[in-house]
Amino acid sequence: MRELTEEEAKVLFSKLANYTGRSLNNLIAPPEGDQTERHVFRLQGSRVYYLPLRLANYATSIPRANLLSAGTIIRTNYEQGKFTKTMKFRLHITALSVIAPHSRYKVWIKANGEMPFLYGGNVLKAHAARWSEDCPEHSGVVVYSMNDEPLGFGVTARSTAEAKKLEPTGIVVFRQADAGEYLREEDSLFTA
Amino acid sequence: MAPTRGSSKGASSGGASKGSKGTKPSTLSSSSRVSKPSSKKNVKRPPPVEVKSKARTAPENLKRKKKRVYTEAELDLPKLNQITPVGVVKPKGKKKGKVFVDDQEGMMTILAMVNAEKEGQIESKMMKARQLEEIREAKKAEAEARMKEKKSKLDAVKDSIRNKKKNKGGNDKGAESSSASSKSAKGKRKSVSFA
Repeated sequence: MRELTEEEAKVLFSKLANYTGRSLNNLIAPPEGDQTERHVFRLQGSRVYYLPLRLANYATSIPRANLLSAGTIIRTNYEQGKFTKTMKFRLHITALSVIAPHSRYKVWIKANGEMPFLYGGNVLKAHAARWSEDCPEHSGVVVYSMNDEPLGFGVTARSTAEAKKLEPTGIVVFRQADAGEYLREEDSLFTA
Repeated sequence: MAPTRGSSKGASSGGASKGSKGTKPSTLSSSSRVSKPSSKKNVKRPPPVEVKSKARTAPENLKRKKKRVYTEAELDLPKLNQITPVGVVKPKGKKKGKVFVDDQEGMMTILAMVNAEKEGQIESKMMKARQLEEIREAKKAEAEARMKEKKSKLDAVKDSIRNKKKNKGGNDKGAESSSASSKSAKGKRKSVSFA
């Protein structure tokens, strides 16, 4: 487990900033300024974890080979063990808890759209109940259920203005991760 | 020293040889005077060699200047005579390995940079979308106006035709009756209907 280099941190933040606004600063600097509860990013194997500094310090006592997971998984590489070279990675559904409180754009889906989304489908216009105003095309959004539970995240297919004119079967949000992955990818989600 | 000695000898010999005049002075002299040994004449000397003064531009003269000696480090030559890839050359006096950022300030600066970049991108996207929307609206308005114009033209033409018909009906009834008769003839036409 090690800290991120400058370049890696930049790549990670730019990915996170797709979904979040300015309040992403709170991830690094806790609002009350308590140093003991400072959260940090750590790279272990091919994964980046987000965890309290206290926990990260404890984790140093465990050999790398034996350490399976610590804290919240933020992202995993496409190709294992190559993050530092290709800098390509995808955010895991586990990062939802980190992104959701700071999300910039949101889409709420109706109850009848929840299941199709949780099974890995894209969000159709007919299923979207409401969405943030002034949302441009191809920007990250967090998908919520009608009772404000985050279900996953994705990328907008159309801008808000265009989506209004779309037919009901048209895709509004392309799915990237949904909470259904916890079950569908149970075997590989937390294993290296 | 030698001439004095020679002269004294000559004086003594001169006194002795006064009676006999026929003797060759040369022989006398040769016997009495100290002369260079006759063998010297026969010594072979090496032929004179012309000594040439060399030109200033001659390489020997030019070499005389003290030549600066460069050390290898000064020349900065590659170790092997080949191209070294950019990634391989390591800057001198720099820390080896990765540079980690773990302090809060460092992370914040990176985050601020990334945020600013992202916001700029979003802003430009929004601007573009807005412009496109404006263009689309303008086009739509233009198309609508054109449609209205067309419709009004068509209506005008229709009205004019209607008016013409009305006017014709008012002017001569005979023509209308003839047309009516033709209409009635048309009405009798066989019609096919499908059940």
